[in-house]
Amino acid sequence: MADPIIRMSDVYFTYTPQAEPPVYALEGINLEVHAGEYLVIVGHNGSGKSTLAKLVNALLRPSRGDVVVKGMNTRQAENVLPIRATVGMVFQNPDNQIVATIVEEDVAFGPANLGVPEADLRARVDWALEAVGMGAYRKRAPHLLSAGQKQRVAIAGAMALQPSVLILDESTAMLDPAGREDVLAAVRALHSQGVTIITITHFMHEAVEGDRMIVMEAGRIVMEGTPRSVFAQVETLRALRLDVPQVTELSYELHRRDATFPANLLTVGEVTQAIQCRLSGGGGVQ
Amino acid sequence: MSDVGQPVIQVNDLHHVYLRGTPLEVKALNGVTLEVRPGEAVGIIGRSGAGKSTLVQHFNGLIRCRERGRVIVTGHDMADPSVNVRLIRQRVGLVFQHPEQQLFERLVGDDIAFGPKKLGLPPAERRERVRWAMEMVGLDFERFKDRFTFSLSGGERRKVAIAGVLALQPQVLVMDEATTGIDPSGRKEILDRIVGLRKAYGVTLVIVSSNMEEVASLVDRLYVLEDGRTVLSGTPREVFAHPDRLMGYGLGVPAVSAVANDLLKHGVPIPRTPLTVTEAVEDLWRILSSSGT
Repeated sequence: MADPIIRMSDVYFTYTPQAEPPVYALEGINLEVHAGEYLVIVGHNGSGKSTLAKLVNALLRPSRGDVVVKGMNTRQAENVLPIRATVGMVFQNPDNQIVATIVEEDVAFGPANLGVPEADLRARVDWALEAVGMGAYRKRAPHLLSAGQKQRVAIAGAMALQPSVLILDESTAMLDPAGREDVLAAVRALHSQGVTIITITHFMHEAVEGDRMIVMEAGRIVMEGTPRSVFAQVETLRALRLDVPQVTELSYELHRRDATFPANLLTVGEVTQAIQCRLSGGGGVQ
Repeated sequence: MSDVGQPVIQVNDLHHVYLRGTPLEVKALNGVTLEVRPGEAVGIIGRSGAGKSTLVQHFNGLIRCRERGRVIVTGHDMADPSVNVRLIRQRVGLVFQHPEQQLFERLVGDDIAFGPKKLGLPPAERRERVRWAMEMVGLDFERFKDRFTFSLSGGERRKVAIAGVLALQPQVLVMDEATTGIDPSGRKEILDRIVGLRKAYGVTLVIVSSNMEEVASLVDRLYVLEDGRTVLSGTPREVFAHPDRLMGYGLGVPAVSAVANDLLKHGVPIPRTPLTVTEAVEDLWRILSSSGT
């Protein structure tokens, strides 16, 4: 297998290095992300998800261990800018990420500062705004947009830099269902173009989108696997005080009443189909 | 105090325009009509930009109606320039999105005491208010009152901000996406406490949310906003029985309601639109097990 695009080896991180003993936000993280993967990270507030994300694009450097992005170690100062060009990041609150007074100027800010020529810049901005469904708002003032619309502008801003890795740190938290769906669709499109996606989310039904998910708790990775294999462990997730998607909970509860009903369905369609199967062909519950 | 049975908030054909007469003019509200009765829990949903936040800012006079329409809050017409806005803001407490950004004092206790102090309450009573409000959100008075606000976690800061609003002992608590961005267990804790507050003190709740599963289990009635208008209203069960319309408004239904609506479309006799996993399990198990025998 090719070298991973991101490798974290035995990474520890503390925000309070002077404290005795130091409190670690991350403790012994080993993680490889391969180019083109779609990785989802879930866990409580304070479990270390955002710290992990910030280590990946060199906003933070590990207290111990190494973070290597495309062969570049985040510890070396000369790697910082190339790493940030490789790893784009979108945060939860778009107000912290929007700089310009007109939507399209905001999206152009990143590439313009990298010296992208005018014609190319235009194309990138248009593409990025269309990708998040904000094309019609290009001339509007960001501060007069709603929170969800602003977030889509912030995502367009990161996308306009055409990074190989896009990290979304709870970027859909403030969006309405359609806005979330628009963003997920845009992320899916980027993923299909080969962009590596790392999503941090509290919405368990969004975790279903990924190829692989990890569950974090108290600075460690405690579960890992495909969404289906992770969500199948309903009791473990409950013990971690995490949610499972409503449909998975529904299929799990029906499975508990009838062991032949599948326990780990992930989508509305799957559940509907399973039930219809039972009612028609299957002759009901065996 | 408002008269019993009289709506605490009554909005009639409300219009609101931002930056009128400029190139950036935006029509935020285009005819909203709704009412909130005492002790009710009312949900307001709508896509981003539908006007939800603009609407709730009319509820306590942060925005006053200069356009068409009327807003009557605890019997006071908000268009009347002589209305006592301070009194209204004491009665209607607003918790915004990212409420942790509302904090400005150094110490937790001082931040929560700010409102009661502005009401001119004597120190002893202020202290009691702070103690009560902290208890309501689940912050231990002795342990937290002298903590620095900036040293708290995001979830704790959020609780402090909510306590600051509760310390005014409002009749109506408006939560504008106030649980957005906290993890599911933190959200559940805050919502459980708000529900507890309603049970214990009859506080009226207005919940603005884009989390369908959250409002489904929380509110008595729902209003759907679209393009600054109220386009759909009813109990959550009534509203979530219209998945196609909701999709058109950029919304959705809770996943369990979607399963039921889909099955219903395929001729499976679903008795009601389930709002929670428990309800869905109950209904579907009944159907599955009866078809087997």
